[in-house]
Amino acid sequence: MSENVTPTVDDLREIADQVWSAYLDPEGIRPFQQGESHEPAKGVSASVSLTGAWHGHVLVTCSSEAARHAAAAFLAMETEEVSDEDMTDVMGELANIVGGNVKSMLPPATLVSLPHVVNGASNRFPTTRQICELAGTWLDEPFSISMWQGRDAGVVAA
Amino acid sequence: MKILIADDSRVMRQIVIRTLRQAGFDGHDLVEAADGRQAHDAIVAEKPDLVVSDWNMPEMTGIQVLDAVRAAGNTVPFGFVTSECTPEMQNAAEAAGALFFIIKPFTPERFKEALSTVLG
Repeated sequence: MSENVTPTVDDLREIADQVWSAYLDPEGIRPFQQGESHEPAKGVSASVSLTGAWHGHVLVTCSSEAARHAAAAFLAMETEEVSDEDMTDVMGELANIVGGNVKSMLPPATLVSLPHVVNGASNRFPTTRQICELAGTWLDEPFSISMWQGRDAGVVAA
Repeated sequence: MKILIADDSRVMRQIVIRTLRQAGFDGHDLVEAADGRQAHDAIVAEKPDLVVSDWNMPEMTGIQVLDAVRAAGNTVPFGFVTSECTPEMQNAAEAAGALFFIIKPFTPERFKEALSTVLG
């Protein structure tokens, strides 16, 4: 059962394309460039947890610089004006949007948590495995969207 | 017209406000609510002409707010803007009398399409 509903990198790409065209790159001049995965030295991690019929997490990770650009784009302000709170809120909203969209592919009784944002370090999820990752760069800065599934998810879903 | 924007995300409230403007809906009075309870109370106190509401919010969900105001006889035009979209949610929204169901991320064109019947 869980194999049929497991989102793929193509699903993440489709969601990301919508987010970029709506908020991060509405003019189509600053696209996300899919490529190698590499963890930023000083980054921001935002996640939402999925619980219920499906257990796991959606994680959005990028460099602080990319988070600053994302906040500026979301809030229509200059990057110099972006506060830490703006970055935190926008990264949380990004995770929320991706998580909400992913939820529609999962079993009906799946719930999305409020976002959790970690500044300066990467979020870790014990007893999970990464099931897909959309990695690459945005404005030459590392940017990644990944999904992590709880190892007991098959048992829960059954 | 007075428009109530209900979303627990400050960022999303700002984006909804900007998208309304980009969709050509300028010059309206805007009221904000940061959770479902605030939204419900603002509908009663402020008597908005349109409610644009998130689905998942603390205190009361958007659908609970809609059910509560309809149960009280209030027929204010009410629609959802949400990142979660399942057939069950859309059916519940429709059954409760929601006017539209906009999925995040959205564009000004989607706002124009969904809101033009109310905002002209």
